[in-house]
Amino acid sequence: MTSSGATAGELAAIREELRAVARDLLGKTGAAAAPDWAQLAAAGWLGLEIPAELDGADATFAETAVIVEELGRAAARTPYLGATVLGTGALLATRPGPARDALLAAAATGEETPVAVVPEGAAFRLARIPGEDERLRLHGHAPFLPDAAQASTLLVLAYPSEADGTADAAKPVLVVLNPDAPGLTVTPQPVLDETRLLAEVSADGVTVIEDQTWRLADDPHVAVKRLRDRAAVTLACDSLGVAEAMLAATVSYAKVRQQFGRPIGSFQAVKHACADMLVQVAVARQLVAAAVVALAAAGAALATGEDDAGAAAAMAKSYACAAAVDVAGKAMQLHGGVGYARESGVHAYLKRAALNRDLFGSPTAHRARLAARYRATAGETDQMVD
Amino acid sequence: MADPGLDEFRAEVRSWCRDHIPAGWRAAQTGVSEDEYVAFQRWWFAQLRDAGYAVPHWPAQWGGGMPLARQVVLYQELAAHDAPRLVLAFVAIHHAAATLLEAGTEEQRARHLPAILDGEIWVQGFSEPEAGSDLVSLRTTATRDGDRYLVHGQKLWASGATHADWCLLLARTDPAAPKRRGISYFLLDMRTPGIDVRPIENAVGESHFCEIFLNDVAVPAVNLVGAENAGWQVAQATLGAERGLTMLELAERLGQAGFRWLVEASGRLGLLGDSLTADRLAGFETEIAGLRALCRDLVERHEAGRAGPADASIVKLYYSELLQRMTGFGAEITGLPAHAVLRKPASSGWESGAWMLDFIGSWEWTIPGGASEIQRNIIAERGLGLPRESVL
Repeated sequence: MTSSGATAGELAAIREELRAVARDLLGKTGAAAAPDWAQLAAAGWLGLEIPAELDGADATFAETAVIVEELGRAAARTPYLGATVLGTGALLATRPGPARDALLAAAATGEETPVAVVPEGAAFRLARIPGEDERLRLHGHAPFLPDAAQASTLLVLAYPSEADGTADAAKPVLVVLNPDAPGLTVTPQPVLDETRLLAEVSADGVTVIEDQTWRLADDPHVAVKRLRDRAAVTLACDSLGVAEAMLAATVSYAKVRQQFGRPIGSFQAVKHACADMLVQVAVARQLVAAAVVALAAAGAALATGEDDAGAAAAMAKSYACAAAVDVAGKAMQLHGGVGYARESGVHAYLKRAALNRDLFGSPTAHRARLAARYRATAGETDQMVD
Repeated sequence: MADPGLDEFRAEVRSWCRDHIPAGWRAAQTGVSEDEYVAFQRWWFAQLRDAGYAVPHWPAQWGGGMPLARQVVLYQELAAHDAPRLVLAFVAIHHAAATLLEAGTEEQRARHLPAILDGEIWVQGFSEPEAGSDLVSLRTTATRDGDRYLVHGQKLWASGATHADWCLLLARTDPAAPKRRGISYFLLDMRTPGIDVRPIENAVGESHFCEIFLNDVAVPAVNLVGAENAGWQVAQATLGAERGLTMLELAERLGQAGFRWLVEASGRLGLLGDSLTADRLAGFETEIAGLRALCRDLVERHEAGRAGPADASIVKLYYSELLQRMTGFGAEITGLPAHAVLRKPASSGWESGAWMLDFIGSWEWTIPGGASEIQRNIIAERGLGLPRESVL
């Protein structure tokens, strides 16, 4: 799966094969179920972007995106978002070193499940203990964190306190913590969408030694921005998969369900709703593809200036996640009473789509981010929001 | 895929735009006579043709052959520099050319493609008073008479027929056959005796739509396109070929001109800091990005022979309704002053910035060329395989 040296056509073929394998494997588990994490590891999905020398596949975010879309299509319950997308993504954005490399290698095989805690804003603060050189304390609290309760290791995005006074002040770092660390509380937060596991994380003066604070490579602020974009595009991919699954299910149902002596899919009211679903899916697919390409190209190192990857991510997230809610909603409507019954499973997709829409920035928040650019071009001083 | 000369090409187009787009053409084209409008359109077409920019989407042997990425750049720059649009030549360079390239004979291509580059104007004669959305019910007949056909009937909504030299004509050659099997496709010389063209004033006060009355008009048999009674298939095949390409220009235009003006208008009105306005604008920017990608994807897949049966309909439907929402938004933020703009410049785009007129004019996209309702039927039936509605 090495991406270096492969032509665009070869890469496309690799992705199509990856997609076929994923659809087959997840199809066997069934919709809204929890596939075995070891099976995902065996399939090589946990180490897609990890370098080959660390037991990974040396692939890119474009391949991760294929898996995410298929996980969305199956509404699969996995810690892939918190662990593989964010955890591995965060580790790949930190400076290489023996401990980091060992953790990445263990993540690729599934022995370790490092989950990144990437809350909105600077929720976690790292302060030096006066009079001590090597020890710091972590304070902070954040709710609704994907997969934090499934972590074997937590990677908490933290901002050094301003009082620190050194040059590294305010540069975010990753704090590597054992979930059992004294002062750290991880509380599962049940939500209506049962296909995702969220948790609340509180750090009340957790003692951290210097070795546990891993620096982000290059410009840490850019690295964090990229990590958030990665999360946003991942949710857009997942929502695209959700929408595709709901469109396919609705079309199949409308072809066989008979009312008034004919298949309901022959009625224009139903047909036009399905056509609108397909249009939304088609547009979402284009925006998601563009964002995936932009993000894979940007990597962690981003040149300053125009933030194409950020804008593409905001477009994909706002459109695809809103579209998936529309599409899943229409799916429930067109399935009629059957769709409202829990047994049909449509509810699971609608809830997942709605949760995806709100995780890592609502459509409104992402559009506000896009709109900040208009004021900038109009001569005002606003900058792109992180 | 990467074109190292793309930036250079962009610079070349920019420089050309600066040298050739007449300053003040909008004011000069506002309220002009029909003759002045036609003269301007012919002049502008010749300018573009001489630069190699009029038919970039045609095959190289006929004067096109521009790579897709460059076509996109060309359309972006023309729109960004507020170039006039090719309105009069639109059917000729798109529909007529696509028909001839897909289904025409070598003689027909050689007769018409160079002539189009010399300014031959075409009109589409498809719709009829009793055959709008149900186009396949068209009644105009073409009766074989030796080496010619005699055409009799009436066409409607033929845009630009007053100035057209030639007409793409659908007529029934076998009244006994099932509807879609009895139609033939013709090239009709508009100077033939027996043709009467009458303009109809539309909702924005223009009269480019026409009725065409055909009273035993003789069409030589060599002007048949494709086989006799295979006209419906020819029309369908042509549609896919032209849709992506026409949309490519219009989508770039929506981004480079329409959206930019909406942002500028919002700025002038002090609305960029207003979160509701900002939200709508960002929504439009996102949808335009989606549309542009869809158009490009459609052209690429069509060229590779991989276009889906509903792809052209998806693009047409999405563009039409996005245009309507965007122009409606332009009118909404401008408020009452938008109602006082009584004329828009001739030769301008669908998003001229005269937002109320643009908004009303957007129904010219959601109705003709297969109304949005028909597009949704096509998308559902051909794209998703849903059953056809039972015919009562």
